Amino acid sequence: MGNKEMRKRLAALSFSEKVKILEKLRDRSLALAGAGLRPKPSEDVLKKAKEKRKEV
Amino acid sequence: MKETLQVINQMQADGVIGKYAIGGAVGATLFLEPAATLDVDIFVILPADLGSLLISLTPIYDYLKARGATAKDEHVVIAGWPVQFLPPGNELEREAVEQSVKTDVEGVPTRVMSAEHLVAIALNTGRSKDHIRILQFIEQEAVDRKKLESLLESHGLTRKWKQFELKYLEGAHGQ
Repeated sequence: MGNKEMRKRLAALSFSEKVKILEKLRDRSLALAGAGLRPKPSEDVLKKAKEKRKEV
Repeated sequence: MKETLQVINQMQADGVIGKYAIGGAVGATLFLEPAATLDVDIFVILPADLGSLLISLTPIYDYLKARGATAKDEHVVIAGWPVQFLPPGNELEREAVEQSVKTDVEGVPTRVMSAEHLVAIALNTGRSKDHIRILQFIEQEAVDRKKLESLLESHGLTRKWKQFELKYLEGAHGQ
């Protein structure tokens, strides 16, 4: 299904159904915000990743 | 949201607020696809509005706090949803509340501003996110262009609309 078609389908849902989606989107945003930033990888990990990219 | 609206409806029945209508991103959801938002904008006519120059939201906060709601910045958190109560700041917003559309959330009755009023308010507010929302209404043909233009004219927003059209809708006029 194309993006436009998907948006049309979502827009055609009832207000109650759309509100349920809004709640899920809100919960996901709050969960992401609550999880905080990922810890910065160590120098060793970065070095290994760089080497791996070179190999590819 | 269902519980949030039940509390607001009870507050209206208890005479703390007059007529209200959902605006903003949640209001736009009635007409468009859902878009992530963290709060609900409730435009509310306060009983004290009539004949008073001073508008106070204190009775709303007091009523809700007594029922377990918590205040957080400019919001009151009701049943998990941060709600911002906004007394109409101009005639357009007042009219938007008066002419709002009846709907419901899981059987709980509520009112949402019309698509044309949501677009006119977004145009008047004029932030980037408001412009994006207007474009969504236009793209999805969720707004009656004739009704909108008449509404904009009656609130002195025609010039602003022409500028918006020129900037964002050039070539799409009349579609």
